[in-house]
Amino acid sequence: MEKSAGKSAKFRLMGKKKRKDLLFAVILLLPTFYILFKTFLFPIYQSLVWSMYKYHMLDGSDVVFVGFSNFTALFKNHDFWTATYFTGYFTVISTVAELVLGLFSALLLNQMFRGRVFFRMIIIIPWAMLTLVNGLLWKWIFQPGNGSFTIILKKIHVLSASENPLWLADAHNIINSVVVADVWKMTPFMTLLLLAGLQAIPSTLYEAAMMDGAGFWKKLWYVTIPQLFPILMIAVVLRTIAAFRVYDILTVFTGDPTTSISYLTFNKAFRYFYLGEASAMAWVSTAIILVFIVLYIRMLKKNSHEV
Amino acid sequence: MFEPTIEQRSVKNDIATVKRKSSLFKVKSTDLISPFYLWCGLILLALFTLAPFVYLFTSSISKTEELLSGHLVPHSPTLENYYRLFTGNGAAEFIAAMKNSIIVSLGTTVGTLILAIFASYAFSKVMFPFRNSALFTVLAMQLLPSISIIAPLYVMMRNGISIAIPFTNVILFQSPPLLDTVWSLIISYTTFSLPFAIWIMTGYFQTIPKALEEAAIIDGCSRMGSLFRIIIPLAMPGIAATAIFTLLLAWDEFMFASAFTQSFASKTLPIAIREFIGKHNIDWGLMTAGGFIASLPPVLVSVFLYKYIVGGLAGGGVKE
Repeated sequence: MEKSAGKSAKFRLMGKKKRKDLLFAVILLLPTFYILFKTFLFPIYQSLVWSMYKYHMLDGSDVVFVGFSNFTALFKNHDFWTATYFTGYFTVISTVAELVLGLFSALLLNQMFRGRVFFRMIIIIPWAMLTLVNGLLWKWIFQPGNGSFTIILKKIHVLSASENPLWLADAHNIINSVVVADVWKMTPFMTLLLLAGLQAIPSTLYEAAMMDGAGFWKKLWYVTIPQLFPILMIAVVLRTIAAFRVYDILTVFTGDPTTSISYLTFNKAFRYFYLGEASAMAWVSTAIILVFIVLYIRMLKKNSHEV
Repeated sequence: MFEPTIEQRSVKNDIATVKRKSSLFKVKSTDLISPFYLWCGLILLALFTLAPFVYLFTSSISKTEELLSGHLVPHSPTLENYYRLFTGNGAAEFIAAMKNSIIVSLGTTVGTLILAIFASYAFSKVMFPFRNSALFTVLAMQLLPSISIIAPLYVMMRNGISIAIPFTNVILFQSPPLLDTVWSLIISYTTFSLPFAIWIMTGYFQTIPKALEEAAIIDGCSRMGSLFRIIIPLAMPGIAATAIFTLLLAWDEFMFASAFTQSFASKTLPIAIREFIGKHNIDWGLMTAGGFIASLPPVLVSVFLYKYIVGGLAGGGVKE
């Protein structure tokens, strides 16, 4: 902080250089700012405006200002609450599962052993796969009858030969399968993020813990988790933000748009072309995500000051 | 002054730890897990990671009858599904989709890199007011869901993009309607890859010592010259990481593609594969073959350029 204060004083003395710097920065940033303004900030503002209008894109009806009635209609809509429930369910379950599995994978991969690079490389494969193909692959695995999940369960005699459960029968089962697909794809992301954090923990802390006779769980609980906490929190917030937007995988598993807010919003906009209502719904998601973004930025700032 | 985040610091520690560790072979105090449990864990990890991927491949080289009768491993492997994929009914569309995917990903990556390099240089090396606030605004944009801008962007693409002088009616440039063209995808993907590209690259540019650049300027280099001769060559790992993330994002994106594309003039691979799902039955052989082909480029890129991805993940806090 002091350093930057000193710097800005220096810049005040060199007024000409400062002005030249400003001009240079403006020239470098202008294209980016123009594009981001035109295709990002303005559309977000525009969808806020649309959310207060009755706006149907295709039927040629007039665009009418309706105030907050799109929002009140939304909050009375049963489908919206179903979608919110499923989105929340998906976000919590998948984030927790990815956190736990990712932490243990990171602990494994942080140790010294032969072929470590190989193991670290293969875990990136699921993460690199197309999200859509990931969805289709798991849908194939969960097929009744000839899907591999059923076949394997029969081979290890969990299921008898005559049983043939429908794994994707109702919305809850579908969401659970989507959670499995998402966990398979995104746990590597968590692992790599936490691995970077684990490597920064000084070994002296573990040595001290070992002197005190701490075993695996005690080391994990008293050294690893407290030391890793800032990165754990960042990873959780990042995954929450990403999981909240789930859409691709769902469209593969089901035609039912009430399984996520994104799905419902997308259908409202591009199947029925109610842009006003869709914008209202999009803004509900945006507002929820904004809360998490503020949280995330505060954590980042706090970390960079403490270290 | 913008401080490097904890992740950016940990990259440096990471390198130091790896160097220290490789010189030691005895059990270290940081090794929490005993060898027996370690290998149990690793075998489980490898199994759960690889089995579904291998199953995708083995399904794609199986005969349809074998898939229907529930063989996990093909008894008589065949390339029939791949043959059908590239010569059968939907072959022209699938090949067009591959071409579109390649154009869209490369176009997005090149556009993003050019814009982001200049922006990141300004953010990391030039002093100007509100620099930090602008940088955090960019970060916030990186995390906003694409659903918040999709409807206005759709209308913009339908009407064509016009570039006008603000507060006047003077239009400098008016594009034709862009729906169902690769341009609509390149532009919208550039929009949401720019923020994270700027965020990652600013972090990398900041690690380059100021003294290097000052020395170049004393030697008679202009600021632009020092960007191209000093900063860009030294920040290559960061630029590579950004390029990989942008490529993967553009290759993977589904929501915008399904809203903006209608015909095989602009449909990308995820859309083409989505369309394998028929109304009643799914041709799993064809679908797994298409899925495997489409996944191969990103998987190969990630495995071979693994170290850049790890550096970028640690340095940038990428959302996906």
